[in-house]
Amino acid sequence: MQADFHYYATYCAAFLAGYSHEESLTICYSAQLVDWCSRTYLSRLKAPLSAATTQLQLELMDADTDPVGLHDITRIWASFHFLPRDLYAKRERCSKRYRNKYRLICGPNGDLAVRTVELAKGRSLQAVGVAMHVIADTWAHQYFAGTPSLVINNTNHHFFEILPDGERKIQFRHSASAPDDIGQCIYTCSLFQSSEDSIMNLGHGRAGHLPDYSFMRYKYLPAWADYEEIVKDNPSDYYHAFCQLVYAMQYLRGERSAFEAGQYAWETVAPYEETVRQILERRQLDASADWAEFAESLSGEKVPDFDKNRYEQEYLQAAKEKKDDTFLGKFILAALAQKSMVTNQCFSSGNMLAGFSVDFAKKGFRGIRDFKRLVKQSEKERNNG
Amino acid sequence: MGKIGRIRNVLIGILMILLSLVMLVLEPEIGFLIAAVILSVALLVTGIRLLFYYFTMARHMVGGKIQLYVGLIVLDFGIFTMTLTHVPHIYLILYMLGTHAFGGVINILRALEARRNAASSWKLKFSQGVVNLLVAVLCLFSLESTRLLVILYCMGLLYSAIVRIISAFRKTAIVYIQ
Repeated sequence: MQADFHYYATYCAAFLAGYSHEESLTICYSAQLVDWCSRTYLSRLKAPLSAATTQLQLELMDADTDPVGLHDITRIWASFHFLPRDLYAKRERCSKRYRNKYRLICGPNGDLAVRTVELAKGRSLQAVGVAMHVIADTWAHQYFAGTPSLVINNTNHHFFEILPDGERKIQFRHSASAPDDIGQCIYTCSLFQSSEDSIMNLGHGRAGHLPDYSFMRYKYLPAWADYEEIVKDNPSDYYHAFCQLVYAMQYLRGERSAFEAGQYAWETVAPYEETVRQILERRQLDASADWAEFAESLSGEKVPDFDKNRYEQEYLQAAKEKKDDTFLGKFILAALAQKSMVTNQCFSSGNMLAGFSVDFAKKGFRGIRDFKRLVKQSEKERNNG
Repeated sequence: MGKIGRIRNVLIGILMILLSLVMLVLEPEIGFLIAAVILSVALLVTGIRLLFYYFTMARHMVGGKIQLYVGLIVLDFGIFTMTLTHVPHIYLILYMLGTHAFGGVINILRALEARRNAASSWKLKFSQGVVNLLVAVLCLFSLESTRLLVILYCMGLLYSAIVRIISAFRKTAIVYIQ
């Protein structure tokens, strides 16, 4: 997904869930910041690098693909962009290594999705934004895994766009600078690399930005599905995502007693269904303008464009002990908590692709220093009752 | 990284350091022969690894048979190289040129990106890139000098060994707080 959904659509979902204009802005800003908060960004702020929620293209090219490097990559991409659907998925007659990768395939309505929303309960609005990014991506990025893997994420020439007047073969190219040509069905994707752990085989790189376009309907052969064709209906998936965001935020606001997988706020969104579906179906690379217009029609307020520098000075100028109370400080805490939770769940399932996790309650603090912030936050929350 | 992984990394790092020192001490021609043997062993290992990869992973993948064919070809090439007493210098030179030049360009691009984002790490990255490019240029001028080629190869081995040992001591576990 792109800024059109993570920023503007998330604002709309938050407002429909009952948040005020200002609260909705905080949530959608945090949801979009997940796509910007790289190590490079954090190092400029002198913030904990472990809070990185994404990796820039060149950071990825420079990333080590030794076990430690792969753990780092998997922690970032599986935690924030490709949340695994089922860490205990069955797959017979295969090696453990294969099964572990298979289990990281992203999808909506999994246990981790429920845990992600529950993790944000009673926490900052920034935590709500982070959770909404993760939930939305479970719909867009399903069938791909947030770890480099040829055997899971590869695609081949069998790729067709489904249009109202029939099917059209999709052509892929590898020019990162050239924009996708939706008229000619020419899209950019990552290069084929035969190495299992090549960064080119991370996530949906081999399928280009197709999963990120709300209008796109296509069919293809995923590497892991035993030659079974998958039809991906993005307009339908994105509508589900939108209604699930509203449902999740109603839970986070206390309007619902529990967040359950497979439940949606159909009734809340129903009055706007036609407008939302129209935006999702429109054949365009960026639907930001449409979503912004819809947002304004809902709240009567203009949603400012996303500016990644907006809260930097507040963070930089804050005293050391006050940094966690700033906008970015709260975002960083939310990101660390999400990464910590997903890594722990992977580790507990016997899957080492995200690396080691040490349970603080059982073994004390043994691990990366950046996560001490979570201990402090936890103590603070306990003291406040 | 687990304890075994750390110990393995340290041991491999020490072995690499010892090997590079031995190669530096020996006659250039013998050193070069060792480098050539290392290259052919690397091909053999790669071939076996690819076959192993096919049988444990890629056989479940759409179009995975290509891994089987590539594995067989590389393994065959490794066995063939093993039978040669002298590998033409140009193979080793091209390998070193390619590795260092590519690494250098990536480092410099990363440094420029970091600089655009005003990150402080850009200077270190930039200098790494320049050093890598310099090594590539040196390789280009060492086509006739076996001695220099061996020294450059050993430098590469030493660098990899040190990075491997350092990475073995990094803290890598994420802390989970309920």
